[in-house]
Amino acid sequence: MTETTTEAKPRKLIPISQSISVLPTDTARIYNHIHPILILSLYYLCFPSLVSDPVSALKKSVAPLAHLQIIYCVVCLPPSKGSSTQSTPSTTPKKKKVQFAKPAAKPPTTLATRIIPAILSLLLSLSLSAPLLTVILILFGAPLTTHFWHNLLCATHISLLGVLPLFYVHGVDGRMWREISGACLPFDEVWGGVIGAVVGAWLGAVPIPLDWDREWQKWPVTIVTGAYLGWFVFRFAGEYLLRGKRIEFD
Amino acid sequence: MEQSTRLAADSLAFKDVTVHYNDAKDRASQDDEMQDTNRTKEIQFKASHTVLIFFFLWIFLLHAIGIYFFTKGFLLTRLVLDHKSNCGSPPIELGQPSPASFADGCWHPKTFDKAVIVIIDALRYDFTVPFSGEPHHFHNALTVLDETSRQTPEKAFLLPFIADPPTTTLQRLKGLTTGTLPTFIDAGSNFAGTAIEEDNLVAQLRDAGKTLVHLGDDTWHSLFPGYFDANLTHAYDSFNVWDLHTVDNGVTEHLLPLLKPENSSKWDIIFGHYLGVDHAGHRYGPDHSATNAKLREMDSVLRKVIASLDEKTLLVVMGDHGMDVKGDHGGESDDEIEAALWMYSNKGVFGRGHNGFMEPPATAKERPVGQIDLVPTLSLLLGMPIPFNNLGAPIAETFVGPGEPDWQNLATVNALAAAQISNYQHEYSQARGLNEDVFSLPQAFWKDGLQSWREALKSGRHSDRFRPAFESFAKHQQETLKICRSLWARFDIPSMLEGIMILICAVAILGTYARSFRPIALELIPVYLVHMTMFGTISAALCSAITLVVFRGGLVNAALLGLAAGGISGFTYASANLPQSFTLPFPRSLWGWLAVVLTLSQSIGFASNSYTIWEDEILLCFLSTFTLIAFASSMRQEFFIERILGIFQAGIFLVLTRLASLSRLCREEQMPYCRSTYYASSTSSTSAPWQLLIPIVSATLLPTVIKTYYQPTRSYQGSATIWIGFAARLGLLASAIYWVLDTADDNDWLTVDKGVLQIIKIVIARLILGVSLVVGTTMFVWSNPCISIQVTPEVNGSADGDVAPKPKSVKVFGYANVHGTRYFLLVINWLLAVVLLQKPMGAGAIGVLAVQILALLEIVNTNNLSQSAIGPVVLGLLGSFHFFKTGHQATLSSIQWESAFVALKTIRYPWSPLLVVLNTFGAQILTTIAVPLIALWKQPPKKPRLLGDVAKALATLLLYYAVINLATTMWAGWLRRHLMLYRIFSPRFMTGAAVLLIVDLIGILVGIGSLRWNFASIAEVFGWN
Repeated sequence: MTETTTEAKPRKLIPISQSISVLPTDTARIYNHIHPILILSLYYLCFPSLVSDPVSALKKSVAPLAHLQIIYCVVCLPPSKGSSTQSTPSTTPKKKKVQFAKPAAKPPTTLATRIIPAILSLLLSLSLSAPLLTVILILFGAPLTTHFWHNLLCATHISLLGVLPLFYVHGVDGRMWREISGACLPFDEVWGGVIGAVVGAWLGAVPIPLDWDREWQKWPVTIVTGAYLGWFVFRFAGEYLLRGKRIEFD
Repeated sequence: MEQSTRLAADSLAFKDVTVHYNDAKDRASQDDEMQDTNRTKEIQFKASHTVLIFFFLWIFLLHAIGIYFFTKGFLLTRLVLDHKSNCGSPPIELGQPSPASFADGCWHPKTFDKAVIVIIDALRYDFTVPFSGEPHHFHNALTVLDETSRQTPEKAFLLPFIADPPTTTLQRLKGLTTGTLPTFIDAGSNFAGTAIEEDNLVAQLRDAGKTLVHLGDDTWHSLFPGYFDANLTHAYDSFNVWDLHTVDNGVTEHLLPLLKPENSSKWDIIFGHYLGVDHAGHRYGPDHSATNAKLREMDSVLRKVIASLDEKTLLVVMGDHGMDVKGDHGGESDDEIEAALWMYSNKGVFGRGHNGFMEPPATAKERPVGQIDLVPTLSLLLGMPIPFNNLGAPIAETFVGPGEPDWQNLATVNALAAAQISNYQHEYSQARGLNEDVFSLPQAFWKDGLQSWREALKSGRHSDRFRPAFESFAKHQQETLKICRSLWARFDIPSMLEGIMILICAVAILGTYARSFRPIALELIPVYLVHMTMFGTISAALCSAITLVVFRGGLVNAALLGLAAGGISGFTYASANLPQSFTLPFPRSLWGWLAVVLTLSQSIGFASNSYTIWEDEILLCFLSTFTLIAFASSMRQEFFIERILGIFQAGIFLVLTRLASLSRLCREEQMPYCRSTYYASSTSSTSAPWQLLIPIVSATLLPTVIKTYYQPTRSYQGSATIWIGFAARLGLLASAIYWVLDTADDNDWLTVDKGVLQIIKIVIARLILGVSLVVGTTMFVWSNPCISIQVTPEVNGSADGDVAPKPKSVKVFGYANVHGTRYFLLVINWLLAVVLLQKPMGAGAIGVLAVQILALLEIVNTNNLSQSAIGPVVLGLLGSFHFFKTGHQATLSSIQWESAFVALKTIRYPWSPLLVVLNTFGAQILTTIAVPLIALWKQPPKKPRLLGDVAKALATLLLYYAVINLATTMWAGWLRRHLMLYRIFSPRFMTGAAVLLIVDLIGILVGIGSLRWNFASIAEVFGWN
């Protein structure tokens, strides 16, 4: 008996997302570079109290971080146009050349049209992604029964750093979020920041088990540190070095 | 023959196949031809299958030889002799009367009737002597020892007391009671447990009818179970290093009343073991006020003890080891080995006449005595025979006498000790097959000593004349000790390097085979095999011949080395001649890189004691990392069903990993950041009643869950229904019943006779093992694939065209996963056996492992990763992870020896060790058996080169374990002087080596071996490929 094996190779999603660029204003271009330094300075200022009392330090710095991120979004980033305006692209591979918004065609955005999505992004990143990241932290081995606030605040910081701008620029479009959870966005400052925060937090776990008996080894100081540093490095890498590249799995 | 094969390619879940025969008549004519090709293909398959098994056996052989050579150089073992010394028969007739009775003394007249032996754990020598400079907290706190030795030298002396590494309390107590050097492994007749079997002082005292009392550290009870008077003895848990006072207060509270005159008839020997100083060191370090307070407390206790001591009683105070600057111990640094020894008696028998130093040495470098010297000293002082294995010499201060030195007495006691050592050395050489020449130097001193002794006896018994005899006997002891030390405690670096080289080459060969061969090269395996065997044999023969002619000895080692070297060069030679069969071994995808990074970072981590200690948590993080990436990858699927399947399975895998991680058995070093949940409490090794629910829940849920992985491909057919629906359910339920009965037995819930209960338990256990491994394997050999075939008869079209003509059609349900579903039945067999041998918590962990394996297979399949290294590597990580989740750690003490008695009443070889292996490495064994599924799951029955894919997957898994083993081996060798060698690196190396060899064997014999029947049974239906 012979067979014609037509083994079905699983077909992959063809990403339609594009790298986003900062708004074409001088303020945006300048603040785009000042912002990461501000964030890192904030972190640097908080570090001593973070080591001595992580929960209160993380709690106190949530508000400044959120403000800075919102300002960054409003000043530098193009807001999402909302899921209603974007037609869901067809999923068949034949029509893979898909339309994407041309920056030139964009209607000029006013301050209000940028502040409202920024606040919505803040709400979403606090209410959606922070709890989700807490669960992920716990799944990765964070304490389950103790350190609840440590976990939640750590997740909140990562979420504000990485996910808030993501909500701001990509909105709540289903197709977009499928690509985001498939990690197939092209690198830019925002996506670089997300990957950086995640990779940094992962690497941040490395020094925890060491028997150096240092105060800063305690949960979750190194994770937060890793997330901030990773975010800082990768957002620049995403902006310049890796711009437009996508993470390939196969 | 025309066929139309329809594959529901768009829907993976229902990939049943329907075949239509258009022309049935053609079949008959082609049958013969088909059968011929089929037979050829069958023979081809069987040949390449056999070749594969031999190739993997070569790999196993290389691993075994490499580990053997490294172990030979690294873990030198000491043979424990069972001989006992006898009171009535002194080892030598010295021509002077010996009392030969317990009443007066066995080999030598006794000095004391009773003794109080106080061990202050980690009492470093410099804690006890005055310090004039800028004092640390530990200085000048415990002064009584120095003070008494200065003021009343005939009543007391204080000396540095040098411990032999490893400086852990258990090993030290062995040394202090047997008088020998405990090596890491004392190879003896004892299969399990820590009880001292060889001759020792405590056993001699008990046999002499003395009443022994023990107070303090409970390590003594694991070494000497049942030796101590049950009413007076009080033992305390030794591992709670955070608690400085419970043990010490307990000892003092019970010690002082016993010393009162009215209680003095109740006991003969008291062993008191204080832990406070050691715990203060571990917790705070020596230079801390807590240590100071502890030492002051010891000082005042000792003063009270001295005050209540009578004439007949000897008081001994000693440290079993010292502590390093951080207060830890275990290694061989000066601070750790320099303990203190102080003896006191109101009788006033001690002297310094042999060397004239009246004051205690200022540092531990002057006039030290060995810890092994305590045994002969105490034995002779208390009138006991010197234990047979003793290697120490009597401490001169106790026998030289106050005032003028009594050289004759010194020579006598040294002669007795030396004679004993001489006997021991003779017996040891015989038992070990050692050349007596090894001991020629001490033997010469022995003869000199006897000569001088006889001359001194003749020449009128003037004490000074005995000095040369004493010196020769002492020299004999020192030289023998030196030789024994070199036999037992020295690393053999060349042998270790040989082992490491072989292991590196084995990793290279395995890596080449697993990741760098082109698919076509897998068919060249016979060429490699022939070269390896040929080169190996020739080289082994050459090496043996050279050794035989040139070195005369060590034949087996030379042959093994030659074999390994030959095999490796054979492989290299064959590879050099077939350069076209390789690709670069570097990973070409994120998945490949992930596999490499996870394996290598774990391997590098073993260089650090912290990462070795926290391996379980690291594995959790790695597994979660994989799953998160798998989740993202599944998100990239175009089609909804595949996407949902991948996401769902990744979710299951992630949650189950974290769920399993809740089962923990913490190792000592993880304290206080870890809470054990594996047993009822951190101090027990029995399960809590609520934990019995775990195997019951597992028995109810697991078969149903497994079924859900069979149903989407409609594979829940034929043997699968019996196996999963009936046999697995019943087997799991029976293990649950077993553990309920076991707990009932422990807690006396039932009024049934214990003997009857034990028989019932053993019958259940043997039934499960018999059904799962014996009946299960037989069934696996004979079973049909999990498919059902539906034949629709041919329909001839009616003439008027009402009924359309339909050819005969055959519908095969379960076609989509023929290989995988049948092979998984084997995993279920082993699962049943492994679950039985785990404690209730472990049964849950193994159940979780089974589901995780299935989820992983789905993830691998939906993401098209069956060729990638990530599948086998994640299986390897899973195996290592669940090793910890089934209540194990990479320490000797976490081995669950009691699992040998699950199916046996007494120890029976080879079954008992096999049961312990199945308990200890159950998780790794299961994942190894499951590894062919990575290549088989949901693959079409006649996929070309499927056997090669399976071999590649298995080789990748073995590569993972081989790299881990190589890393732990190299680190253990490199860090052989590290403080934590005996506690962390050595046990991890041994775990890695054991896992590798077991996984090799299981992978070859069960994994590859059973493929023969799996393929044959599928070929019976679909024809050979």
